[in-house]
Amino acid sequence: MVEYACKKCRYITEEPTICKVCGSREFTKEWHGYVVVIDPEKSEIAKKLGIKYAGKYALIVS
Amino acid sequence: MTKYFVVKTTANQEKIVASLMAAGVKKRRINLYSILSPKEIKGYIIVEAESNEDIVNAIRGVPHIKGLVKGDVSFTEIEHFLKPKKAAEQIREGFKVEIISGPFKGELAVVKRVDESKNEITVELLEAVVPIPVTVKADNVRILEKTGEEEV
Repeated sequence: MVEYACKKCRYITEEPTICKVCGSREFTKEWHGYVVVIDPEKSEIAKKLGIKYAGKYALIVS
Repeated sequence: MTKYFVVKTTANQEKIVASLMAAGVKKRRINLYSILSPKEIKGYIIVEAESNEDIVNAIRGVPHIKGLVKGDVSFTEIEHFLKPKKAAEQIREGFKVEIISGPFKGELAVVKRVDESKNEITVELLEAVVPIPVTVKADNVRILEKTGEEEV
């Protein structure tokens, strides 16, 4: 099961068609680091990363 | 005030643990806000939660968890994981590297060129009779010696 990261917002998905968060169509298989945001409103990590929606994100996208 | 806790996991299972914990938290209404698994640290994940109690509840029954590191860490200690540098940004021309993946795995090489935008480096293998430049992903090498770097 390959997971892809959106090149723009780094959202991780298994279906690289259109990003649910930013609408981008550019995805990559080469990403590193992993963050699961559960509550973006209360999470300091999400604020620092500029994440507004819950979900899985990559830290580095190449 | 959120706190950051470090959870010890089985190596290479960090992603699975993070996903399982997140799934459990949603069901059980635990005050856990995010889970971070940086590339740099193997076998550990950083969990952002409201209290020690929340984290203890969140890790209960999750496979591949080996324990909870005592105490919490401050945000400044984990901040550098949030804006990681690309591997190529840490490599300079002249560095001696070992290729750790791909057909040249195990070979030693010297960096000849760095392409930060593509995250690629061009190296020359040390043991090759004829020096042939080989381009590899910067993530596929390990820095052995920072020779050729200007002293600060």
